[in-house]
Amino acid sequence: MVAVHQFIPTFAPRDAIGTHALHAQRILRDMGIDSDIYAGGSRGARPGQVHSLRSFARRAARSAEGTWLLYQLSTGSAVFDFLMERPEPKLVNYHNITDPSLYRAWEPGVAVELGEGRRQLRELAPRVELGIAVSEFNRADLEEAGYARTTVAPVLVDLEEGRVSPDPATSRALAKAKSGGGADWLFVGRLAPHKCQHDVVRAFAAYRAAYDPRARLHLVGGTGSHAYRVTLERYLAGLGLAGAVTIAGSVRQSVLAAVYRNADVFVCLSEHEGFCVPIVEAMRERVPVVAFAATAVPETVAGAAVLLPTKDPMTVAAAVSRVLGDEVLRKQLADAGEERASHFTLERAGRRFRTVMEDLLQGAEAGCA
Amino acid sequence: MSDTIDHPRLLAEIDEEVRRRRESGDLPAGFERELDLVFARFAPVHAVGDDFAQVLERTEQSTHVDVLAPTASRTPAVGLAKRVIRKAVIWEMRYVAQQVSTFAFGVTRAVRLLGDRVDGLEQAAPGAGGKFLAMARAAAPALDTSRWATAVVDAVQDAPGRVVHAECGDGALVARMNQAGVDAYGVGPVDQVPPPGLEVRVDEALVHLRAVPDASLGGVVLSGCVDLLPLGTLSEMAALARAKLAPGGVAVVLATKPECWAGVAADLAPGRPLHPKTWCQLLGAGGVSSVEVVEGPTDYAVVARLPG
Repeated sequence: MVAVHQFIPTFAPRDAIGTHALHAQRILRDMGIDSDIYAGGSRGARPGQVHSLRSFARRAARSAEGTWLLYQLSTGSAVFDFLMERPEPKLVNYHNITDPSLYRAWEPGVAVELGEGRRQLRELAPRVELGIAVSEFNRADLEEAGYARTTVAPVLVDLEEGRVSPDPATSRALAKAKSGGGADWLFVGRLAPHKCQHDVVRAFAAYRAAYDPRARLHLVGGTGSHAYRVTLERYLAGLGLAGAVTIAGSVRQSVLAAVYRNADVFVCLSEHEGFCVPIVEAMRERVPVVAFAATAVPETVAGAAVLLPTKDPMTVAAAVSRVLGDEVLRKQLADAGEERASHFTLERAGRRFRTVMEDLLQGAEAGCA
Repeated sequence: MSDTIDHPRLLAEIDEEVRRRRESGDLPAGFERELDLVFARFAPVHAVGDDFAQVLERTEQSTHVDVLAPTASRTPAVGLAKRVIRKAVIWEMRYVAQQVSTFAFGVTRAVRLLGDRVDGLEQAAPGAGGKFLAMARAAAPALDTSRWATAVVDAVQDAPGRVVHAECGDGALVARMNQAGVDAYGVGPVDQVPPPGLEVRVDEALVHLRAVPDASLGGVVLSGCVDLLPLGTLSEMAALARAKLAPGGVAVVLATKPECWAGVAADLAPGRPLHPKTWCQLLGAGGVSSVEVVEGPTDYAVVARLPG
C-alpha cells in the first residue's frame, strides 16, 4: 500500500500548520493512501493523533516500500536531521520561514531557529522530489533555495469552521462601545515582531489624532514573543492609548466571530506573511482590508484590498479614513474581498492538494518521479 | 473581480489627502517623530537604531536582571503555582542574576571607556560627527537654496514617490516643492519647530537615509552637510541616495564650489566641498541614466536620474 506520512517539528491541532496537516491526512486517507502524522513534539494533541519520530523508525523497518515522507516545514528543527537519515523519497510542504533578522532583537533564540530553518531548507533541496508551496511567494523562496520541482497548493484551512454564532456577551460589549461612536480597527495575528502590531498602533494613533478620537483598535492573537508583547503594552501606555486598544490574546472561535462582525476595517502592516489566513477571514466577513504590500500579502488579496507601499502612519490613517468614509469604495472592497475569499475554501484547496498528490504518485508509478 | 476599484487613482488620492492634512497643521508638529521616540524608549536596544549614546544608555539600563518573573495568569490556580515556584527558586535566581548583572555592567563600562577613547580620537581627527561639525555648521555660509528652487522643483516634479530634502535648513525649499505639488519633507539636525504645515524630521541626513527602506523615495535633495562632511561620508551618502531611490527617481546635490570655500567653517569642518565632477562620479557609480551639472557663480547643482 502506498503511504505518505507527514512530519512536523511541533504538532498543535489548532494552529495553522497542525490544521493543514490534519486536513492533508484526511484527503490522503480518502485517496486510499496510508497517512500518519509524526512530530518532534506536540501540544494539545488527542491520543493517537500524532506519533513520535522513534515510532516511525520502528514501523519503517517493517515496510519502507512505496512510502513517502512529507515534511511540513516552517522553522528549523531536529526533524530535519531525522529526515536526512531516512532513505524514503521526500516531499516538502513549505509554509515559509520568517526572516530571522525580524526576530533577532526580540527573541534571539527564535532567530537562531529560523536561521537554522533557512539552512535546512537549502540542504533538503537536492533530496526532495517535490516542493509544495502554499503561495507563489513561497514557491519563489523554494526555487531560490534550489528546489528543482515546485508547485503551489493553497493552505488547507476550513474557513467555514470559523462561521460559528458570535459570542453574545462579546457582541454586546462591542456594540455598547460602538454606540458611543468611533470606528473599530482590527488586526488578527500572533503578537510577534514580524506582524508589526506596533506599526498598526502608530497608524491608529495618527488616525485618532487626525480623524476620529473615539476610534478603537482590537488586536487578537496569542503571544508569539513575550518581549514584543511587553514592549507593545508599554508603548500603548506611553502613548496614552491603553484604554483605546484591546489586546485580546488567543480567543475562542465564537469570540473571534463577534470581533470580525463588529470590525469596520482590518489593518495589516506585517513585514512578513507567507499567506495570511486572517486577511482571508476578514474578506470572507466582508470587512474591508487595508494592508502594507509586503511578501505574500499582495498575492493573497489579489486586488481586493487597499494595498499601501508604505507604513507611514498618516498614509495608513488616511487610507482607513477614505475606506470608512466612502460608501461605494467600502462596498467594492467588501464584494471583491468576499469573492477573493471564496478562492480559499477547503474544498477548492483540498482538490488542488489531491491533484498534486495524484500527479506525483502517478508520475512515480510511471518511473519519472 | 476588483476591476471597479481604480487602485493607482485611489492611492494617488490618499497621498493627496495626506499632503493636505500635513499642510493644514491638524497633526501637532513632530507627531510622527514622537511616536517613534516613545517606541524607542520601550523596544529592545538593537531594534531601534544606531545612535551610539542611545544604544549604550539603553544597554546600561538593561544590565540589571530582574529576578521577579511576572506571575499574572487568567487562571487563578496557574497564578498561584507561578508565585509558589517564584518564591521557591528566587534565592538561586538572585545568585545567578547577581553574576550576570556584574558581568553585563563590566562589559558596558568597558564599552563606555572605549567610546570615550574614540571620542578622543575624533577630537584629534574630526570625523563625520562631533562638536567641530556642529561649530562648522553654525559658521558655514548658508547656501541660498532659493536661487535653486526652480531647478530643483523642475527636477523632482515627476518624482515617483516622496522627496526628502536633507539638510533642509528653514524648510523654504521643502515649502516651494510642496507648493508645486511635490510630496516633499525635510530632514535637519537642529531641533527646531518646523513652520506649520511643513513636515520636517529632526535627524542627521546620513542617519535618516540609512533608516529609509530601499527604493522607497522619489527624490533625494542634498545640501548643507555636503559642504562639511569628509569624503568617506559623502561617498556613503551618494550610495545611500541611489539605493533609496525608486526606479525613475532623482538625486539632486546643491553644493558650494570648492574655490569659494573659506573662513571659519572651512577651518572647522571635517571635510570640504567637492568639485561637481566628483559628485557626478559618486552618484554615477551605481548606474544612472543621466547626470547633469548646472553651475552658479559660487555654487552648483548636480542632478542625477535613475533609469525608470
